[in-house]
Amino acid sequence: MLYFGKQIIEISFALWHLPESLPRGLRGTTFSKMSASITGLLKPWTPRVFLVRWSRYNPYYLEPEPRKEVYHIPETELTPEQKEERELKSVRPIKAATNSVTSSVFNDPVLSKFVNMMMKDGDKIIAKGIITQTLENMKRKQVEKYHKAPEGKKAEIECNPYAIFHQALENCKPVIGLASIQKGGKFYQVPIPLTDNRRRFLAMKWMITECRDNKHRRTLMYEKLSQELLAAFSKEGNVVKRKHELHKMAESNRAYAHYRWW
Amino acid sequence: MNRLSGEEWQGGHYLSVPLSSHTHTNAHLQRHTRTHTHTHTHTFTLSRVVPSVAALMTWLHSAAFTRRLARSIAYLFPSGLFDNKAKPLMKHPDEVFPKQRAVQWGADGRPFHFLFYTGKQSYYSLMHDTFTKALAVEKHQDRLRGKGLFTQDAKQISLVGSRWLLKEELEELLVETISDHDYARFIQLMERLLSLPYCSAEEDFVQRYRRQLEIQSSKQQVQPLQYDQHGVAYSTGDGRRKTATGTVLLRDSGSGSISINGTNYVHYFPVLQDREQLMFPLHFMGVLGRFDMQCSVSGGGHSSQAGALRLAISRAMLSFLSEGQVETMRQAGLLTPDPRIKERKKPGQEGARRKFTWKKR
Repeated sequence: MLYFGKQIIEISFALWHLPESLPRGLRGTTFSKMSASITGLLKPWTPRVFLVRWSRYNPYYLEPEPRKEVYHIPETELTPEQKEERELKSVRPIKAATNSVTSSVFNDPVLSKFVNMMMKDGDKIIAKGIITQTLENMKRKQVEKYHKAPEGKKAEIECNPYAIFHQALENCKPVIGLASIQKGGKFYQVPIPLTDNRRRFLAMKWMITECRDNKHRRTLMYEKLSQELLAAFSKEGNVVKRKHELHKMAESNRAYAHYRWW
Repeated sequence: MNRLSGEEWQGGHYLSVPLSSHTHTNAHLQRHTRTHTHTHTHTFTLSRVVPSVAALMTWLHSAAFTRRLARSIAYLFPSGLFDNKAKPLMKHPDEVFPKQRAVQWGADGRPFHFLFYTGKQSYYSLMHDTFTKALAVEKHQDRLRGKGLFTQDAKQISLVGSRWLLKEELEELLVETISDHDYARFIQLMERLLSLPYCSAEEDFVQRYRRQLEIQSSKQQVQPLQYDQHGVAYSTGDGRRKTATGTVLLRDSGSGSISINGTNYVHYFPVLQDREQLMFPLHFMGVLGRFDMQCSVSGGGHSSQAGALRLAISRAMLSFLSEGQVETMRQAGLLTPDPRIKERKKPGQEGARRKFTWKKR
């Protein structure tokens, strides 16, 4: 935001943060106080003013879309927004796909995020190994349960470890969060709405800290993780309990909800 | 290059001065012809035998002699100074001298433009025109509403492949300086005009203030396909990521084997993620088993080597693909070199981001 002059800050803000709600004429625009050409924006770029979160990509670059099926939709079945997006993509440069992203059916962004959060000191091989063992372990347990179950109950048992993982994470996500807001010298815990990213982050964080801290010293990470995920899948276990506690706290602090100003 | 005739030389040099302007040459030549009798013929003789001094003078002052002399000197003393390519590159005066306004008032001192006293007459007249057009469009819409012919889905102006004029370009167009605030107001007013459903009537006016953006896929350099002695198509590509560089030789043989620095790719990349990165461009295009690859890579770690090879494979594959497929690959992020590098350490900090331990005293 410091990169552009204050006078056109509303336009720059809109372009940077809310591309969907842009006025029609501003899509596909660029603007630069420094140079009159766009060629300067098409190179690896180091900003003049270093904000805390900056990237080597210019804000002009768009995110890549690595999934195959998106490109096989025929022209007739595209909505007008999708058509406009395609035209915009044809004139804008695209960022490079990261190392952890492929077009394979096994590529799962949620799982990749979970692996990254588990990773310590940049050791992704170990983190990915733990996750693979966890998924295998979950599958084994479920299949064992499946074979032991009577005929009527067999259909209800979910054996796909990815489905279990997603559902467990969904069950762990809090709906409302708390923020520490200072008012009149005291700090109050004020209930606030959470964004999707924040909810997903909290669910994963609780899951990982739970498995690291509250286990017997001899159990391995994958063992504990598979136990917790299966418990969360059936809405039991410590992580889901923690989510419920957060909800109760938010409910009890309802009176301070008006302290939120955004 | 050196055998330029006189007329090809521009900004002619010492030969542009005609010989007759030198007053001393006549006497010198007379002396020269009297004492120096030419007993032998030399290669550089005049094409016609000069019978008299008067004829000689006529010849020496002719344009043909000047040209001949120029060619001879160019031949005998070749110099790059007078070459076409050594000419000073000068810009067109329009590029050097900024456009200036003609005088804005008549002999009586009365200005021509009615907005002269605003100080920014072109800018305000542009805003005035735009607003007039917006009002006209609204009036047209009201008339249609009165008749009951108003529809929301009228034909819209297509704006996707273009951008607004930059502030500098607008200044150039108006031949006067405007501030950032003025520019922002202008864009706002244009947006307001575009928000009206029936604005397509003013499409020409709007397009005058927009510039076309070039299609990015046209910037991709696709090497032509090469064929070896057995008729098998092959192509090469190279890529870089962080400090790793990789090259790939892609052969259309149909076996799907990959060798990296002489070893099989399963042995070279024991990590699944790196092998997935190698397969990414092939799987994306659906040609997994078609190509034979010989790769060589050096530098960096295993992850950056895999990234470098992925870029090299994508670039080598371009020769086998059509235009639409190239664009699809570009939109998947396979053709952009990853610019991310290790962030530098800053002074006063322990690392790129990590600060020194804070000590109270």
